[in-house]
Amino acid sequence: MSELSIVLVNLVAIATAYFFIYPKYAGDDVRRLAWLDTAVGATVLVVLAPFNWNTPNDYTLFVVDLNWWMFAFITYFLLELPLFYFYSKARGLGSAYREMWGLNSGFTAMASEKSVKKQLSDTKWDGLRTRGALRFLVLGSNLTVILGTTFLVFVGDNKWAGLIMLYILILMIFWALLRRAVRLITEAPDDALDERMIQERNSVYYRAYQYLFGVSSVLVAALLGYSVATDLFDDGDGFNYEINLTWPQINAIFWLIFGYAYMLPSMIMAWREANRLEKSL
Amino acid sequence: MSRQPEEPIFNRIEESRLGKGLSRQQLADAVGVHYQTVGYLERGEYNPSLSLALKIAQELGAEVSDLFSLTPFRKVKSNG
Repeated sequence: MSELSIVLVNLVAIATAYFFIYPKYAGDDVRRLAWLDTAVGATVLVVLAPFNWNTPNDYTLFVVDLNWWMFAFITYFLLELPLFYFYSKARGLGSAYREMWGLNSGFTAMASEKSVKKQLSDTKWDGLRTRGALRFLVLGSNLTVILGTTFLVFVGDNKWAGLIMLYILILMIFWALLRRAVRLITEAPDDALDERMIQERNSVYYRAYQYLFGVSSVLVAALLGYSVATDLFDDGDGFNYEINLTWPQINAIFWLIFGYAYMLPSMIMAWREANRLEKSL
Repeated sequence: MSRQPEEPIFNRIEESRLGKGLSRQQLADAVGVHYQTVGYLERGEYNPSLSLALKIAQELGAEVSDLFSLTPFRKVKSNG
């Protein structure tokens, strides 16, 4: 099957979708639109599959040779873009799309309004919201990051690469528990919170930024120190430095920054809540 | 500008709410906050915005100055 045939099948599918299916069955509902679009795209692949299965990778897109399904997928996407743009613009769906992808409140609003509201009334996880449990979660998550990073950096050997998964798993468990302990407030969009919660959330982000600045400063200072030490003791040329990192060491640095960037706001909120509970005793 | 916790604001929200026979949840729903926030307000752990203070006062049928003060309120002796 030639490239032109695939493009024609794509065009027929896209035209049918945007002129008949989407206006009738999706309208302004962006979630339904996304599902229908996935279904139409999948249908195109199913239709094309019997004619192209096991064919060589000789479908040329501009200057790149692709296999049939990749060619079909990319051309579908490119052909759909203008129609998607006009459909969204004509129906004023920009805001609904930003809402769906959590972009209206910035990238920090990872939790949906619905899930936050559910958590705010939740009592199932109250065991995590006691003074002791909150302190345990904050200390435990910090210890995990610090010990995990230290171990992976100093051991470094690739034979320990398997431990990275365990490290990430423990981090994820702490992250999941922390965000429930603070009722998802640190990840909530404004609409899900009242003025006290918004003030509290914004305040912990300010503090988290200061701590993260501290962690990042230590890392870049270490890098600077390493380059100066190389010049002083290893006859460096003052301009070029070589740093050899193993996979566990790269992971250690990545998860140190990424882990803190995601968990610090919840850690700070949990610690403040523990302090408040202590004061109210 | 100093931080809010260093300037305590005393309030009589709980007293007024109970006087009106309202639960925390009812007051929270009426003024558009979470019921936990009413607890924070009553304990003086959170100072409301002016608009929230006005809403609370309106809901409790009082003046803002009857509910909030920079100095502690005098205890009212009960006759019972």
